[in-house]
Amino acid sequence: MEEKKLRQYDFITAVGLILFSIWELAQAFKMPMKDTYGGVQSEWYVSPALLPLIIGGGLMLLGAILLVNAVRSGGAASFFEAVGKSGKVKMTEPTRRVITVVFAFVSFIYLMIPHVDFFLSISLFLFYISASFYPDSDDFRKKMTFQFLLGMIALLILVVTGLEGVLKGILSYNVDILALLFLIYLNIYSRIMARKMDIQRKLIRQVTWISILVPLVRYSAISFWCRYP
Amino acid sequence: MGFLEPLQIFLMSIVGLIANPVNILILFGSVIMGIIFGATPGLTATLGVALLTTLTYGMDVSTAMVALMGIYVGGVYGGSYTAVLVNIPGTAASAATALDGYPLARKGQAGRALGLTTTASAIGTVIGMVFVVLLSPVISALALEFTSFEFFLLALFGIVISGTLTSQDLVYKGWIAGLIGLFLATIGRDSLQFFPRYTFGMSELEGGLDLVPVLIGAFGIPQIMQTIRDNFKISETSEFKKILPEWKTIGKNIPAILRSSLIGVGIGAVPGIGEDIAGWVSYGTAKKASKHPEEFGKGAVEAVISTETANNSCIGGAMIPLLNLGIPGSPPAAMLLGAFMLHGIQPGPMLNIDRPTFVLEITAILLLASIAMWVSGIFLSKQVVKVLKVPTSLFMPIISVLCIIGSYALGMRVFNLYLMLPIGIIAYFLTEMKYPIAPLIIGVILGDMADQNLRRALMVSQGSFMPVLQRPVSLVLVLVILILIAGQIPAFQKLQAGVKAGVLSLFKKKQGSADNA
Repeated sequence: MEEKKLRQYDFITAVGLILFSIWELAQAFKMPMKDTYGGVQSEWYVSPALLPLIIGGGLMLLGAILLVNAVRSGGAASFFEAVGKSGKVKMTEPTRRVITVVFAFVSFIYLMIPHVDFFLSISLFLFYISASFYPDSDDFRKKMTFQFLLGMIALLILVVTGLEGVLKGILSYNVDILALLFLIYLNIYSRIMARKMDIQRKLIRQVTWISILVPLVRYSAISFWCRYP
Repeated sequence: MGFLEPLQIFLMSIVGLIANPVNILILFGSVIMGIIFGATPGLTATLGVALLTTLTYGMDVSTAMVALMGIYVGGVYGGSYTAVLVNIPGTAASAATALDGYPLARKGQAGRALGLTTTASAIGTVIGMVFVVLLSPVISALALEFTSFEFFLLALFGIVISGTLTSQDLVYKGWIAGLIGLFLATIGRDSLQFFPRYTFGMSELEGGLDLVPVLIGAFGIPQIMQTIRDNFKISETSEFKKILPEWKTIGKNIPAILRSSLIGVGIGAVPGIGEDIAGWVSYGTAKKASKHPEEFGKGAVEAVISTETANNSCIGGAMIPLLNLGIPGSPPAAMLLGAFMLHGIQPGPMLNIDRPTFVLEITAILLLASIAMWVSGIFLSKQVVKVLKVPTSLFMPIISVLCIIGSYALGMRVFNLYLMLPIGIIAYFLTEMKYPIAPLIIGVILGDMADQNLRRALMVSQGSFMPVLQRPVSLVLVLVILILIAGQIPAFQKLQAGVKAGVLSLFKKKQGSADNA
């Protein structure tokens, strides 16, 4: 990262750190200091707040030093300048790739794992993330992300509206069946798109195999050998 | 215990381990896995140890240690493959190796360069192991004399020195990372009064944060994100026919090997400082000591041997504070600490009393791992290079799944996953903003030790800090911490430079007058 940008980020981090340390210290001051807790008369030096106070104080001091350095080195000025021009800022391709990875992780951990079968969750996650990056085409990745996003929105609606419970009441594996259908749909869609976009079909085939074999290995060999659940 | 008894335990441990074919299989398997992890840019020995930790959950302690030490040794060595063959170090530890390893490969000597890195790494590991055996009883005995103040200061020293030496930008960014780590360690009920700190009323947080998901999140997730973001590809690797050990060249470089081993062990023993720094320091020292420094950077054999010896001897160095003080010497050692705890082993001064043979067993495993690494390196290198050609965009999603399974498997808590991801994302941004992650991890690991010992010490002294000044070890630690902190203040830096210049001029004057006389 270039120096100017680094100092800009230092400015934001410093402000964030100072705010965080204020919150941390405020919480620490709520902890028992010299009063009794659990029937035990406490002293300041045995208080559970002792280390949090040191940490909060240290973070505040270092945050202030970072802030001063960011202001002196022009980080604050260039930050405000960048904020003023924020309409012109374009998202770079690497940033989009990072967002895709984070989106895949978030939907896998917070949405799929609690509501969909673990095997299917891993398969979906692996298929989406591998198909997005392995063919090395930004357009293909965007199309896959859009389809996956639609699927995740549908799952979110099922969860939020309580439809998931209703479906499970009818047949306990209903959500899993929907996830399986979504996986098949993604597979077909990626093949059609690959053909349209001149992407080798071999790549999609390899991604499909990986999305099936990895959870299969996890379920058979590893769960037996390492006594996983 | 005399000399023969530890030797007997050491040999018995080796016999016991190799008598079980499963151990041999696991040893070679984990070493090769380590080499692949080390050789693949984006994967590191730390991540390898982290992921394997969860797989060792159902194993007995000895077998688990064989697997973990195997992947650690293999991981540190494996980085040299891509450093030599494609000029891209697989791990930061082998960054210095690339400077001269790759020019050697360009001269058509890739096999020779890999042979030298393999043998130097094996020798480095063995020398590191010797230091573990020699220094552990001394440090352990010394640590038994430590009071709570010393343990608190040791934890603080670990965080400060790790923050100071690992920061690539402003030094205090390392300290900030350390303090964030300490904060994470305070989450949960405190161990003296059981008061819930920063739990937000969530029962899942009352027991504190599980170490393994935090480590996987902090080390694994940022690496996955960075590798996928940069769309890293290995295009062509330098060709080689055979890997040759070249004992003659090794024999000629014995002084460099010994020097680099000492550097590696010394740096490894400093909390939180990893194999990468050992490699660079050793490279710099080798260049200064060399009769032909002009050859460095153009394929100097001495440079390759020095860096690889140092980064692998660092493993032994990192094990010394880990086993005897409970303070990890390097990021992979931090992960090993988590693995030890998972298997019911509490490293620290009491380890030699609770498990008198454990340190010797670990050294026996280190010796076996270095042999397995040498054999695998010499005979299986071509196969490893083939694995390197698997695209990272296919490899990384599988690693992501392993990270997730690994975090979940320990304790079978989905909550660990909820925790791992935010920590990973925060660690990614911190890394991008040049905050080192090692001090954060050291903070998380040593937080509890710092908290408990500070309060215990003050309880004994009735709130007085005077014992710190009355005990020599505490006093030394306080002074070192103060110098490290003050060293960042411009006024102190000027004073330091002035004193240095004064001492040097005085020395020169004395030398000049002696020459005249």
